[in-house]
Formats: sequence, C-alpha cells, structure tokens
Amino acid sequence: MLRVSKVTLSYGAEPVLEGASLKVETGQFTSLVGPSGSGKSSLLRVVMGLQRPKAGLIDLAAGLGQVGILFQDDALLPWRTARENVALGLRARGASKPEAGREAVSWLWRMGLAGFEERYPRELSGGQRKRVAIAQVLALRPSLLLMDEPFASLDAIVRHRLTQDLLRWVEHEKLSVLLVTHDLEEASQGPRASVRECYHVPIPRPRDLVQARAHPAFGPLLGRLWQDLSEEVGELHAATIQPLRREA
Amino acid sequence: MSPNRAWARQLAALAAFLALWEGAARAGLVNPFFLPPPSKVGGVLLTLLSEGSIWPHLYATFLAAFLGLLAGIGAGAVLGFAGALAAYVAELLVPVMILLNAVPRVILAPLFVIWLGIDIESKVALSFVLVAVVMFFAVYSGIKDVDRRLIERVKTLGGGRWVLLREVYLPSVVVWVMGGMKVAVGFAFTGAVVGEFVASSRGLGYLLSFAQSTYNAALSIALVLLVIAFVLLLFGAADLLERRLLRWKYR
Repeated sequence: MLRVSKVTLSYGAEPVLEGASLKVETGQFTSLVGPSGSGKSSLLRVVMGLQRPKAGLIDLAAGLGQVGILFQDDALLPWRTARENVALGLRARGASKPEAGREAVSWLWRMGLAGFEERYPRELSGGQRKRVAIAQVLALRPSLLLMDEPFASLDAIVRHRLTQDLLRWVEHEKLSVLLVTHDLEEASQGPRASVRECYHVPIPRPRDLVQARAHPAFGPLLGRLWQDLSEEVGELHAATIQPLRREA
Repeated sequence: MSPNRAWARQLAALAAFLALWEGAARAGLVNPFFLPPPSKVGGVLLTLLSEGSIWPHLYATFLAAFLGLLAGIGAGAVLGFAGALAAYVAELLVPVMILLNAVPRVILAPLFVIWLGIDIESKVALSFVLVAVVMFFAVYSGIKDVDRRLIERVKTLGGGRWVLLREVYLPSVVVWVMGGMKVAVGFAFTGAVVGEFVASSRGLGYLLSFAQSTYNAALSIALVLLVIAFVLLLFGAADLLERRLLRWKYR
C-alpha cells in the first residue's frame, strides 16, 4: 500500500528524518511510535506531499487521492457549516453542490451528528468537531488512512468512543492505517508497532481498548515497547542536551 | 453597579458634562465667544437642519467619503490580496505602501486639486488614498497570517488553487476587510473634509473653513457634531454588514 524508503528531511541545518523507512501493507493497521520530536509527524507530511524530502522515495500504490489524513489539530473552516466542511473535499473532486451536500449529510449522520449539519465549528464541542473532521476524510472513501495522534486533544472518554467508532469503520472497510503516536496504548490498537523493530500484537480483533488492556499479552508487550522507547528517548536527550559548563 | 446599566451611567455623565458646560458659559466662567454653550450650538444645529441649506453640503461630503471608502476598500483589498499571494507583487507594492503609510497622506490634497479640480473628484481621490493604504495592510498581513492548518487541510482533501481561493483566501479577506472597516470609515471622512478645506465650493469642510474665517465657534462645533453623527451612522451600517457577512462568528 505504502512504502517509504530512506527518507531524509531537515528544517534548515536541523536534521529531522535520516533515512526513515517503513511499509504499510494493504488492509493492515500499522502504528509508528516514537517520542515527541522524533519526526513522526514530519514523515506523514512528507507522505502527503506537504513537505518535500531532501532524499528518499515514497511509493504510494493508490495515489494521493486515495489517502486521507487526520491531524491532531485538524482545523475546520470556521466560516463553513459542518455540512459545507464535509462537502468541501467531495466538491473538490468534482461532485456537484447538491450531490456533495447530500453525501456530506449522510456522513455526518453516520458520525452521530444528525441535527448538527448547519452548525458552524464554533458552535460544536471539541469531540463534535473531531467527528466532522473524520467525516470530512472518510467521505472521500480513502483506502489508506494516516493519523497523527488524532485524538490527543480530547478527554479520555470522548477519545475512547471516537477511537472505537473509527476502528469499527476501519475494520468494516478493511482500510490500511498508519497511526503515528507517542502513546503506547493508542499504538497497541494496531497489530504492528514499530520503534526500531516491528512488534506483532497477538490480540484478536476487533479490539476494544479496555478489553485489550486486560489481555494477557498486553502487559509484556507494553513493557517491551516502553523499554525500547525509553532507550530511544535517552539517546535523543543525550544527543541534544549538553551539560552546562561553568566558565573558568 | 450592573454592567447592563452602563449606558444609563454614560448618559448621566454626558448630561452632567453638558450641564456643567452650559452653567460655566452662563455664569461667565468661560467666554461664550470661544466656547458657546450647548444650547447655542444646539440652536445652530437646529437652524442648519431646518433651514435646509446644509443638505447640499452634507450630501457632497458624504458622497465623497462614501465613494472614496468604496474605491479604497476595493483597491486596498485587491492589492493586499495580490501582494500576499505573489511575492513579486509584494516586492513592488510593499515599499510604496510603507512610504505612503509613513507620510501624512493629506499632503497630497493640493496636488489632487491641481489635477482634478475643486469639485468632488479631488475629495474622492484623497479619501481613496487614505483608505486604500490602511486596507492594503489589513488585507496583506491578514492573508499572510492565514492559518496554515486550513490551507493544508484543504490541500489534503484534494483542493487545488481555485478551491483554496474560494474556501480559504476569499473568506479571510472578508474577515480582514471588516476588521479594518472602522478605521477606514474614519479615514474616508478625514479625506473628504480635508479635501474640502483645501479648495471647494461645497461640503462640511468648506463650511468649517467658512466658520473659522468668521470666528463662528458655534457653527464650527455644530459641524463637528454633524461629522460625528455621520461617522456613527456608517459605523452602524458597517456593524450590520459585518453581522451579515461574518454570521459564523456572531450567530
């Protein structure tokens, strides 16, 4: 589905990605875990073509039109209603205004937002705005879904419900997913989690987050991931934070 | 002291101020020749309005300010938009605009009279230059600061240049134009009135310079009140327009 090979990216002199590679198989849920500042989000931006890498190759079998992305801080257009926001992508792809409007309304209903179609983003709660953003992306029927800590700004209960709803859709549509996160529990939703290596998550699907946590395989896996991640963070800090030296 | 009674307290303060002024003039504390009491100013205002001779002057000033405002908003918004989206337009326009912004633009008034005559054209032109420069900066910096996330969002949803323009940039322009509207209204009247000071045969500026040459302080204050009333009227209209255009902000 997606193959990223040896991507190198830097902001000015600051290297962000050095030869990053990963693979997302069709129909699989892959999590990319790493500490903040490790370049995970930049990698997704490169995949979406929002950022041009210095070197490396992005091989996207389906083309960009088949990729949807959910950011942590998705911004809806404040001057457009929920319906118009969802219709935006459909219209950009050539749907007529009434057609896109009808389609948008049906997606809002599916996301549990019946009755909120004509609200402006300012008039919606954080969780509702997130649902609109999800509808916006799913309405375009992507086959690959990229997610960059999409629910990080929401409270635990809303996050849990949204995750379940989204996962159900992912299972139903057999979407390929690449989830980027620093949250190990969130990452364990997927069968593959990679820090430097790939882990197989042996928990049967579909999974419920709360149940998954109680699964006997969850604890040891989390422990391993945590250890690897701590080493990674340790290296990152050793590399960037220099001890202060007193002037003689 | 509830906040919704604020208007009542403001009104009371105004009444007290006027009473003090009136009293001071009547008691001979101030010379009514220099500072005529409110009753005298009110009388002049009433005469001006009832006599009817003021209307052509009001019309002339209002029309000049209004046309200058419209043209200035249009030109400022278009140029600001072009400058924000095309770097080569910005590198030509921005230095000129900074210069025009730095000098008191009313110094152009005599030149406009020479070029356009003493009729309304020179007043519209001055009004236009005053408004266009502030609008340019409002729109230019507004568009430059458009939320990157909105642009990326539309791009990742498959929107091209045209969709970006319609969904992100144009609505942003409206936001920034409305934001600069009140300053622009003030500038539009400044342009019209100063233009009339310089050379004219009609308008509130013309009447003001007449009042000055005849040492008529009461007429002068009455005219100032008229200009204030007009600016407030346009403020009200701008507010209505803003509530309509930016419904997503106010509903």
